[in-house]
Amino acid sequence: MSARTLSAAAFACLMMIGSSSLLATEQRQFDYMLNCQGCHLPDGSGNPQRQVPAFSGQLGKFLSVPGGRAYLVQVPGSALSGLSDEALAGVLNWMLETFSAAELPSGFKPYTGTELHEWRQVPVPDIEGVRNELLQRIAHQEEQQRKGT
Amino acid sequence: MAIKWFDEATEIFARTTARNTSRRGFLGGLGTVLIGAGAATLLPVYRGSAFAQSASALVEEGDPNSCDYWRYCAIDGFLCGCCGGSTTSCPPGTVRSDITWIGTCHNPADGKDYVISYNDCCGKENCGRCICQRDQGDSPMYRPQSSNDINWCAGSHADMPYHCSLSVVIGVKG
Repeated sequence: MSARTLSAAAFACLMMIGSSSLLATEQRQFDYMLNCQGCHLPDGSGNPQRQVPAFSGQLGKFLSVPGGRAYLVQVPGSALSGLSDEALAGVLNWMLETFSAAELPSGFKPYTGTELHEWRQVPVPDIEGVRNELLQRIAHQEEQQRKGT
Repeated sequence: MAIKWFDEATEIFARTTARNTSRRGFLGGLGTVLIGAGAATLLPVYRGSAFAQSASALVEEGDPNSCDYWRYCAIDGFLCGCCGGSTTSCPPGTVRSDITWIGTCHNPADGKDYVISYNDCCGKENCGRCICQRDQGDSPMYRPQSSNDINWCAGSHADMPYHCSLSVVIGVKG
């Protein structure tokens, strides 16, 4: 066999290896798929017109105002999901890093299971009211930053 | 004759070609082009963000239009494959709901668990063919993210009557 034939054969083998391996989905993304993606969509864009908030460009902002860190845990989709505390912390961290890395506050500390355990036990009757208040705080903070610069 | 030079030139060209090239060589080249063009589309490009994982790598057994097909372990609806579409594409005249319910199914062909997205196809009346209800891991309506009783056409961008359901592989458990 000539060198050309050999290299062609090697190329063909490489291609077959490449196409036959289905990469396993990362566990945190796996949990996102099964618990969140159905409504929040693969790219986290959600459907804001139908009360499914978008994550992109938004999620990380909650961490920079008081109460926001607990809110992301206490929102029903998080708190009432079938995920363990550790798995929920993993999904939240994955979502923050994947959909909203640019908005993360400096010195961002990832969620841990023990941290969010207590928050998860507290029912929040008016979660929409909490959300609106947090959005106001975020808007207020952004306005102040604009004035400051 | 006035075109004698043309005959001679043609003869010289034909003889040179015959001397310098072989018929098998031409066939070999043609084969390389044909196979190369087909193989280029199979290059191992990272397609992790694509909606459906490359189906060619997935080993599957059974009839996709039969309710006992492995992907349908948690479905509740009409199989789009019987309605003019397939397990991954909506029939003509319908729109795929973007929101959906997602579950996992065990693929007996390779022993792995896959994440399946049961998107509804919307925009025509009920298809009525190949009804399939298997409900593995189905939860009551108060856990909407795990309930397959929801009509996902309502509330999606499609927002039209339900026609049939897809079963798209979107991930695999490690």
